[in-house]
Amino acid sequence: MATQDPSSRNGSEDQEEDYMNMVITEPDKHREKETYTQRRLRKERESEARGRVKSKAERAADEAAAREAALSASLFTDPEAAAKNKGLAMMAKMGFKPGAALGSEGNTSAMTEPIGISMKDDRGGVGLDAEKKRKFREAVEKEGKRIKAEEGDYRERVRREREEVRLDGMVGAAMRVAERMDAEREEQRAVDALGCVDESAEDPKKSAVSTKPLKSINVLWRGLVRKREEKERDQRMRYDLQQSLSRLPTYDDTNEDADDKRALGKVPTQHRFIEDIEEEDPELDEFNALDPAERLQKLVEYLREEYNYCFWCKFSYPDKEMDGCPGLTEEDHD
Amino acid sequence: MTMADRRPDEPDTSRAKRARIGDMDPSANPYLAHMYDVEKSELNGTGYSARNGSGNSSLTISPLSHLKRHQTTALQAHAAEDGPNNPFNNKPLSSNYFGILKTRRDLPVHKQRQEFLDMFHSTQILVFVGETGSGKTTQIPQFILFDDLPHFSGKLVACTQPRRVAAMSVAQRVANELDVILGEEVGYSIRFDDVSGPKTMLKYMTDGMLLREAMHDHDLTRYSCIILDEAHERTLSTDILMGLLKEVALRRPDLKIVIMSATLDAQKFQRYFNDAPLLAVPGRTHPVEIFYTPEPERDYVEAALRTVLQIHATESEGDILLFLTGEEEIEDACRKISLEADEMMREADAGPLKVYPLYGTLPPAQQQRIFEPAPPAARQGGRPGRKVIVSTNIAETSLTIDGIVYVVDPGFSKQKVYNPRIRVESLLVSPISKASAQQRAGRAGRTRPGKCFRLYTETAFKKELIEQTYPEILRSNLANTVLELKKLGIDDLVHFDLMDPPAPETLMRALEELNYLACLDDDGNLTALGKLASEFPLDPALAVMLISSPEFYCSNEILSLTALLSVPQIFVRPASAKKRADEMKALFAHPDGDHLTMLNVYHAFKGAEAQGDPKRWCHEHFLSLRALQSADDVRQQLKRIMEKSELELLSTPFNDKNYYTNIRRALVAGFFMQVAKKEGTGKTYKTIKDDQSVLLHPSTVLGVDSEWVVYNEFVLTTKNYVRTVTSVKPEWLLDIAPVYYDLSTFSKGEIKTALQKAADRIKRKQAQKGGR
Repeated sequence: MATQDPSSRNGSEDQEEDYMNMVITEPDKHREKETYTQRRLRKERESEARGRVKSKAERAADEAAAREAALSASLFTDPEAAAKNKGLAMMAKMGFKPGAALGSEGNTSAMTEPIGISMKDDRGGVGLDAEKKRKFREAVEKEGKRIKAEEGDYRERVRREREEVRLDGMVGAAMRVAERMDAEREEQRAVDALGCVDESAEDPKKSAVSTKPLKSINVLWRGLVRKREEKERDQRMRYDLQQSLSRLPTYDDTNEDADDKRALGKVPTQHRFIEDIEEEDPELDEFNALDPAERLQKLVEYLREEYNYCFWCKFSYPDKEMDGCPGLTEEDHD
Repeated sequence: MTMADRRPDEPDTSRAKRARIGDMDPSANPYLAHMYDVEKSELNGTGYSARNGSGNSSLTISPLSHLKRHQTTALQAHAAEDGPNNPFNNKPLSSNYFGILKTRRDLPVHKQRQEFLDMFHSTQILVFVGETGSGKTTQIPQFILFDDLPHFSGKLVACTQPRRVAAMSVAQRVANELDVILGEEVGYSIRFDDVSGPKTMLKYMTDGMLLREAMHDHDLTRYSCIILDEAHERTLSTDILMGLLKEVALRRPDLKIVIMSATLDAQKFQRYFNDAPLLAVPGRTHPVEIFYTPEPERDYVEAALRTVLQIHATESEGDILLFLTGEEEIEDACRKISLEADEMMREADAGPLKVYPLYGTLPPAQQQRIFEPAPPAARQGGRPGRKVIVSTNIAETSLTIDGIVYVVDPGFSKQKVYNPRIRVESLLVSPISKASAQQRAGRAGRTRPGKCFRLYTETAFKKELIEQTYPEILRSNLANTVLELKKLGIDDLVHFDLMDPPAPETLMRALEELNYLACLDDDGNLTALGKLASEFPLDPALAVMLISSPEFYCSNEILSLTALLSVPQIFVRPASAKKRADEMKALFAHPDGDHLTMLNVYHAFKGAEAQGDPKRWCHEHFLSLRALQSADDVRQQLKRIMEKSELELLSTPFNDKNYYTNIRRALVAGFFMQVAKKEGTGKTYKTIKDDQSVLLHPSTVLGVDSEWVVYNEFVLTTKNYVRTVTSVKPEWLLDIAPVYYDLSTFSKGEIKTALQKAADRIKRKQAQKGGR
């Protein structure tokens, strides 16, 4: 074990162990010497601890601890003390072996340990302490159960939230599909009506968005449109703000005449939607209050009804039967 | 004839009587003279008749003289009891005797007298079980007298009792029943008091006394029969006696042994005595209904008071017995119950309620008051009065109080505990055992069906209470017992067959302690000092102190002190006059400690002023006359033993500056194992070798400036206290007990350092002396 040849450190396993040993014992060997100041401080601390008069409670605790320690240790456990004990030596001469009991050999009920001492310091009735302990234990158990139950709840909640987010995403997607299909149909109708493609209606989507009153849009995807318009308005307002630098776009400067206004691009019509958007919409609120799953279901049904389109198959069937679609729900399409 | 009329089931009583009358004075019959000559010569042969020499003529005409020992019948005894002369001393029997005889024959044991005799004849050891009230303590020894006829063989029948008071009072009662003078045919023997004489044939004695006798007479040859009564109480001495008798029975086949117990655990006795036969006599008991509380009580004392008052308010006539733990608690409870009851009487028209305390240290006259009848109704037609007895567990087995119908049992008692690991013997309040609880409940059914209110839940009864109270031998320091056993000739203490052997550590401590006291040598043999110490009915430490006191020129003083330490507390401190009591105590205070203060009290008590009117003097000075008087008695007894042992009685002249120092040094000679040293700057002390933190008991007269103290007892409460302390010097410890204070056996620490310094001081002094 004494081999500490550095050259053979990376050799066999045995030598590796030696190396480990050396590392562990090293710090002990070279313990830093206490400096004078450290020593002085330590002494000061120690004498302070010694000199401090302990509080009654501390004393009682010390006493009890010393007593418990003494009471719990058998007089036979310390071999050194036991070897010196003349009483034990005498007993050994009589044939006693530690661990055995006294008395006749047939006596099986003989004690090997002294009776414990329990101090009673109050007037609590018989069984009160046990009752207290039992109650405490019950409370702990109950608390444990509650925590566990909450843990379960949490997992459930997270799962639900995730599911909601997912459903919300799908609702959005279904809304977009519905809006697009609706727009396409309207376009188709317009084309059918005009017979040709009107140049002015080249960008129908854009004009439709900006002109069509929100309330006339199907509630199923009205939320989508509204959100988009709100977003657009925000962008516009920010743009306006940046353009006008120091003024709010709605600021009415009395020094400006109509020409100034036109020059600054302040067109009143631009703010028409703000009012529209800010208007109360109980129908939409009602729809939004529904579960995402329900909203999704409504959208899916609408698409099937109107366009023979299955949201899950991502396919427009040619007829009402929708032959080949496994069913109404997402699970059917798994 | 009235007897025969009353007992038609024994029709031949009168016939037996007639027959006996017919051949009365058989010894006077010249044709039968040879029979009696033979008997007489037999007696002379054994050498016992001399003792009854004067009674020889009376013996010959005794109706007992034709009976054959261990072959008698109940009928014969019955006839002999009917007189007209006393079969034991041939004096005419008094009318009082016949009155008692009538009631005696109504006792439950009487119905089984023949059964008892049959079994008694058939075996050497008999276990007899009789509930309290069966009459076993008074009657069985008499049954045995009429069969064992100890006066013919010059032997005695002994009946042991765990308590001194019981031994005295039962002896008196039996003397009355036999129509003899106490101290003659029937006597008693208790520590420091022997009332028996050469004629004594039945001796009631404490179990401890019989044990002491056995120390000088290992085979108990004086006795033809030994009855161990109240064996279920399992006192230390009874347990040792049982172990001893088991051995003696083998050596002495002629010795009869009867173990008497209340029903509890009788089979255990049977098994222990090699399956001895058992006879059970039912007591006279009525059913007792037991009530438990639905929930554990927060404060058992308060709950007890509430229950007592509730019983008084709502239950029908009948007295109440409440069990509490100690004197203070009992006195306090009595006060509170009285106050509340007075109010109930005034405001709720309740009946009058009389409250009596009962505990061991109560003067006997006051103890007797519990037998006073309950108070009558306050007015004509009013609700009946009731008495309440608030008692320690004395009332559990030893005292029989009639009229108790309600028992309130909070489930606690004060019990002695000893732990060899910290060497503490103390009284602690602990839950009782199931057996105890049953015993308590039984007290309610003595006169009529009763009720027992247990102030704990049924679950607590089942789960928290141990089955049986631990026998005393498991709860005691055995130093004294080991000394006794050694003196009894028992060398193998390890295998001595005890019913419940103690923990090995307890024996180890006892042997070690006796070795330090030089009572046992290293091989475990009794030393000369040990033999001497065992002569004294004292703890070994006290005995050793007393024996070594002549070396310190203060044996007179130590003798007084030993006596004072062997009796109950001499200082009285009533709750109502604590301050005054403390002032009075201060009059006797010695700055060096409580032992010296006690000695001052004793000297003052023996002074002319106090002896003029001791009662008044004690009352004025808040001292217990009873304790001081019994200390006086104890001193006398111990003095006799000292004189017998040729120990000199010496005193240092009082004006010598070493008068008190010598006493303190003598104290160390016995109590060097009970020393504590002050810790640092605080009030706490640390016990030597056991390292337990202790405080001086508040009752001490000693200031906290004493560095080293010897103490008489270690009191275990929520705080550890040492009580009765006196300051000593470390040099004395090293000088007087060099083996115990061998510095190499001490672990490093404050105590060792201090002792080392003292040792160095001694060395320096010696060097100086040597140099000079």
